[in-house]
Amino acid sequence: MGTQLSQYFPVLMLFGVAAGFAFGTLAFSVIAGKVGRRTRTKDIPYECGMLPEGPGSARMSVKFFLVALLFVLFDIEVVFMYPWAVNYRDMLKTNAPLALGGMVSFLGILFVGYVYALKKRAFDWRS
Amino acid sequence: MNHSLITTEILVILLGLGVLLADLWIRPESRPALGWLAASLLGCILALSLGALTPHDGSAFGGMYVLDGLARYFKGFFLLAGILVILMTVEFRHRLPVGLSEFFALTLFALAGMLFAASANDFILMFVSLELITVTFFVLNSFQRARLPSLEAGVKYLILGGVASAFMIFGIALIFGSANTTNFSLVAAQQAQLAANPVFLTGLMLVLVGLGFKIAAFPFHLWAPDVYQGSPAPATAFLSVGSKAAGFVLLLRVLFGAVPQITSQWQVLLMVTAAITILYGSLCALPQRNFKRLLGYSSIANAGYLLLGVAAESRTGSSAVLYYLGGYFFTVLAIFTVLCSLSSTIDNDEISALNGLGRRSPFLAAALSIGLVSLAGIPPMVGFFGKFQLLAAVLEAARLAPAFYVLLGVAVVGVVLSLYYYFNVIRAMYWGDAPAGVSLIEVSAPARIALLVCLAGVLYLGIAPGGLLRLADGAVAGLKFSPAHAPSVVTAAH
Amino acid sequence: MHAGLNHYLTVSVLLFCLGFLGVITRRNLVVIYMGLELMLNAANLALVAFSRFNANLNGQVMVFFTITVAAAEVAVGLALIVALYRKRGTAHVEDLATLKL
Repeated sequence: MGTQLSQYFPVLMLFGVAAGFAFGTLAFSVIAGKVGRRTRTKDIPYECGMLPEGPGSARMSVKFFLVALLFVLFDIEVVFMYPWAVNYRDMLKTNAPLALGGMVSFLGILFVGYVYALKKRAFDWRS
Repeated sequence: MNHSLITTEILVILLGLGVLLADLWIRPESRPALGWLAASLLGCILALSLGALTPHDGSAFGGMYVLDGLARYFKGFFLLAGILVILMTVEFRHRLPVGLSEFFALTLFALAGMLFAASANDFILMFVSLELITVTFFVLNSFQRARLPSLEAGVKYLILGGVASAFMIFGIALIFGSANTTNFSLVAAQQAQLAANPVFLTGLMLVLVGLGFKIAAFPFHLWAPDVYQGSPAPATAFLSVGSKAAGFVLLLRVLFGAVPQITSQWQVLLMVTAAITILYGSLCALPQRNFKRLLGYSSIANAGYLLLGVAAESRTGSSAVLYYLGGYFFTVLAIFTVLCSLSSTIDNDEISALNGLGRRSPFLAAALSIGLVSLAGIPPMVGFFGKFQLLAAVLEAARLAPAFYVLLGVAVVGVVLSLYYYFNVIRAMYWGDAPAGVSLIEVSAPARIALLVCLAGVLYLGIAPGGLLRLADGAVAGLKFSPAHAPSVVTAAH
Repeated sequence: MHAGLNHYLTVSVLLFCLGFLGVITRRNLVVIYMGLELMLNAANLALVAFSRFNANLNGQVMVFFTITVAAAEVAVGLALIVALYRKRGTAHVEDLATLKL
């Protein structure tokens, strides 16, 4: 048990270094920085620029959200295509129609999804 | 390798994709016709799958997928459920303002998941098919996006379903790690060593947590009442028959296909779960005012009754589970078809909204009464004979383990309690005062057909149970049951 | 020092517990969802580690399926949470109280 725990000693050291770095940097900036010298001008977002107007957080367009969701869905297909492509040559020797047909039918299902998204105007950026 | 075995699943998926594509080019007013077309094509698939499509049993994909009696029984069950749910959805269209065709397509995709689940002989296929069902139901449950209860039901199912699937996949990881395989048959071959492996047992327990969520067994039942109440009625109906049955077929396959020896040591656990599930569902159903929420609790109680048959760990018990599910299927679908037929005239699901239904539509009221009487387990309905079979299996097991007499008592208490809350609804229909100035309720032809099919099933299976019972008994022939407390198990484990 | 199976499994169990803790203690739906993802990825880590140390590639194949399932869940889940947020104006679980007895 002792040996197993001692294997984690490097992790503990890493923790020490990480904590030392974080708190060390903070402490250094407090000591070396000019603490307390704050004015009203210093606290505004742009110290020498336009005065900001309106609420700070702008609303993101819902388009980004939709496109991100579609990206997540269509992006995952490559998880299956990559191993398939790597093994394709070997699979040709054993069962060629299955090797190609499997991937074609998989892509066919994805393509139906794509056509659906297209016709539902999910990719239409203007509307 | 025999890939033609999955023809039924392929056809259902193609039908789903076809519906999705067809919707893009047809006029909105012909969408109900698309539903009728999909239902009739599904009927053709059902008729073909009974014989011509896949004539021989066998396994495919390296033993991952099996087609045997159990799979065939449940495939027929799921396909019939799919047809009736689609007909129900057409009836419910007034409450689904957008995306009627998508609802059909999603129902078909969930159906494909259930068909795969019925044939799963591997933890990987089990996980993927269950996820196909669960993720589809996230959408189906929250389909009425403009209604807050529906959205809320979807989100609750999402979070709890996500936790359940995370538990299941972690369990599968542990099982894979300790058994070095995920195939049920290969796990079964080495279960004597695995029975003493704590990592494997933990993994198995986590998988059972995931399955317990699907069947809404205590303590993983929390989602059921909220989701039943908030979801659109066709989705709830499919959830309560399809999703629950998929959970049970996988439970049977894991417990009696992959690890029968370990299951025989866990009998007490199954008994306690069954007893608490029955009591919890029945007691919580008592004060309900919302009909769909009442059905949610009733579904928890019914999961408990079904677990009685699993806990009996015998061929009688498992065939009783299959028979009970068959009867429960017709009963629940009859009730939900009535709810869908009412959806265009009655705008809420309170029990008080059913007041005076006996005068407004004698047919619907009679159908609902027959369904509820069957759920309560009164002869000659199918619900009675199903409960009778389950209790017979419990009595048989009680000869070996006297603790089953307690379970029998709990089940009887549950049945007595259920009489009260089901008859509350019947009283509202026949002795409640109808609100002033309401008209008669029309029932459309497809709904009438669906209802008559369900009622015929409820009555026929109750009066002449022999056929289905033989079918169920044949279907569980492939499962293995270790006799309880057999000394050979203990010696094999060491 | 060599990292053995136990190390990977320890990290995996820790991640799983952290994720579950996040699910049951956090009140924001999006953060709960992050906890869920953590649980799924803990399982992935365990699968890959078992796969490596048992010299059985099936575990890695299983991870592909888990990743796909997780992506589908995220897409549907986030869409649902956003729909709820638009309707309700909040993503806190305490506000999900429409469905009560």
